[in-house]
Amino acid sequence: MRYAEFTWFDLVLLAQGLGVTLGLFLATSLIGLLVGSAWAVIRFYRVPVLTQVVTFLAELLKNSPVLVQLFLIFFGVPAFFRINLTPVDAALITLSGNTAAFVYVIAVSAIESIGRDQVEAARVFGLSRWQVLRHVIAPQALAFSIGPLTGLLVNQLQVTSLISVIGVLDLAKIGNILNLRTLKPFIVWTAVGLLYYLAAKAIAYLGARAERRLRAHSAWKGL
Amino acid sequence: MLKAESVRKVFGTTTVLDGVDLTIQPGEVVSILGSSGSGKSTLIRCINGLEKLDGGRVTVDDFDVSKPRELAEARKRSGTVFQLFNLYPHMTAVQNIALAPIEVLKRPRAEAEAEARNLLASVGLADRAEAYPAQLSGGQRQRVGICRALAMKPRYLLLDEVTSALDPEMTAEVLSILAKLAAEGTTMLFVTHEIEFARTISTRIVFLDKGKLLVDLPTDQFFAPAGGLAQPRIAQFLTKMRKD
Amino acid sequence: MRFDLSILLPHLGFLLEGAVLTAQACALALLGSFVLGALVATAITSASAVLRRLAAAYVDVFRNIPFLVQLFFFYYGLPELGIYLDAFATGVLALSIAGGAFSSDVIRAGILAIEPGIIEAAQVSGLSRAKTFTKIVLPIALRTSVRPLGSVFINLILTSSILSTITLNELTGSAKIVASDTFRPFEVYFVLLVAYAVLTWAVSIGIGLLHRRLNRDMMEQVS
Repeated sequence: MRYAEFTWFDLVLLAQGLGVTLGLFLATSLIGLLVGSAWAVIRFYRVPVLTQVVTFLAELLKNSPVLVQLFLIFFGVPAFFRINLTPVDAALITLSGNTAAFVYVIAVSAIESIGRDQVEAARVFGLSRWQVLRHVIAPQALAFSIGPLTGLLVNQLQVTSLISVIGVLDLAKIGNILNLRTLKPFIVWTAVGLLYYLAAKAIAYLGARAERRLRAHSAWKGL
Repeated sequence: MLKAESVRKVFGTTTVLDGVDLTIQPGEVVSILGSSGSGKSTLIRCINGLEKLDGGRVTVDDFDVSKPRELAEARKRSGTVFQLFNLYPHMTAVQNIALAPIEVLKRPRAEAEAEARNLLASVGLADRAEAYPAQLSGGQRQRVGICRALAMKPRYLLLDEVTSALDPEMTAEVLSILAKLAAEGTTMLFVTHEIEFARTISTRIVFLDKGKLLVDLPTDQFFAPAGGLAQPRIAQFLTKMRKD
Repeated sequence: MRFDLSILLPHLGFLLEGAVLTAQACALALLGSFVLGALVATAITSASAVLRRLAAAYVDVFRNIPFLVQLFFFYYGLPELGIYLDAFATGVLALSIAGGAFSSDVIRAGILAIEPGIIEAAQVSGLSRAKTFTKIVLPIALRTSVRPLGSVFINLILTSSILSTITLNELTGSAKIVASDTFRPFEVYFVLLVAYAVLTWAVSIGIGLLHRRLNRDMMEQVS
């Protein structure tokens, strides 16, 4: 039997798809944030060789289509290295790497805006490299970059939709399934679009709140 | 005739112009003096319609600047030269000057550009006709600004602190052009800090203090001990300006 | 398994055809986004509240919904309305609409960055609002927006890879076919990645040159 009409279960399907999308988004954003920040720190400390590698990698990832990156990881890597990768594995790796590349750029600019003299002052006072990172650089860089980071994350949410092409059952893929079944593209794609839109707005709102909190702490309170 | 009647302008909680009356007849050269914040520039901006009036009326040859349809006519009859020049950065000197005659007065391009070159020659910039504002000095830019205002053949020339952004040498070159214009009979309304210059070429001096018009006298009476100088505020102002 | 690029050689012609299709689609979409972006930026800075809100809504919607979803919306939806466009036309349409939203933001920023005094000079000389906009505001705003518009264009090139999902054989679509023909997806997608990166790098150089040329006359002379 073929259900060509919408059923209440379709709402569950959409919710599931949204769940997969958000789950992968959160995971890859977190990994991307950590990895991208680590790359920026490497560049800040001018680690030989690694800095060049990291810069090259970031440039490559930023300036190529995410879809091609996905194909390379999902189709190319298993064929070449004889390993198994599920669509979700490939999605995780690719999106994390892509996010990391953009986080790298934002983090580098944020760290650079802090200025080396502060770091030198802290070192002269005897703080270790790690302490300088944790207490001097990180808080200021974070406050500085929350705005651009929020914009980036909203964009990366849109990018997650591409994982549907390699078969992950995310929101876009559910949309495809529903579309092919009910043949009602306006309803299906409007609903899917609406869900993505609301998720994007939620991220933007949370980002703005976080920015206000962080900036409130660093605001000059007067003598 | 250019007439400002009981002009009132409020910015937030500050009354910048408080019931100012001013009438300018063709051929007059009037200077507006006063300290910063006295409302001098605001008055000019009310006359050319850049600021909306909060009270009173401004008419240029009986065209009311508050009425949108009459504003266009009023603007055709007045030309403004700005303190910061405000030249169009993406156009050459000739194009800057010819733009309004072509678009507003519907003159043919060739005629408007020839006119523009004539004007540039009269201010000594014939060889800089194809230069862009970024390639000109401050004094040269202001001279182009004057030509641009004159290209519309305005009845009244409004000049808003046109030498305040220039160094002494460039100030002198611009002032000499303005003196020439005054001598030729151009009706001009100046806002200026150049007291000596105002004294030399103006027929009338108007003094504004905190938004109110204190005096409006012919030049020689303004600088006479019994006339303008009798007002303590004016005497104080002039002494301070002379000291700088 | 050896990394062997030579297997791509017999397919280079086919890949080149795909590249040409990408170039054509992107060129048309660039034009479309540019015109749409200028119109929307005009609407957003206009005096009419209705126009402003409509324009703002368009930008908001198309910046917060994934391109894939937008593309499917048009690809499956338009035939329902009786509009039958081939994959190429649909792709160009979708790219133009999405690109228009991003470029309108850029042009709007360029408009708002114009010194107000310049507009005032135009106003007092009697220039109508329309003339002020077309002769003064837009020419200046576009000259200063060249670099950020270039970024939008580069983004367009990368996004065009998504057109492969609606059976258009542009560069990515052709590569997919070659990958399955040769059974060497790793080499194919790796080269594809580098090809896109090189292409965007070349475009960004071109943008830099264009920026310098257009703004040559407006740059302050060092005296």
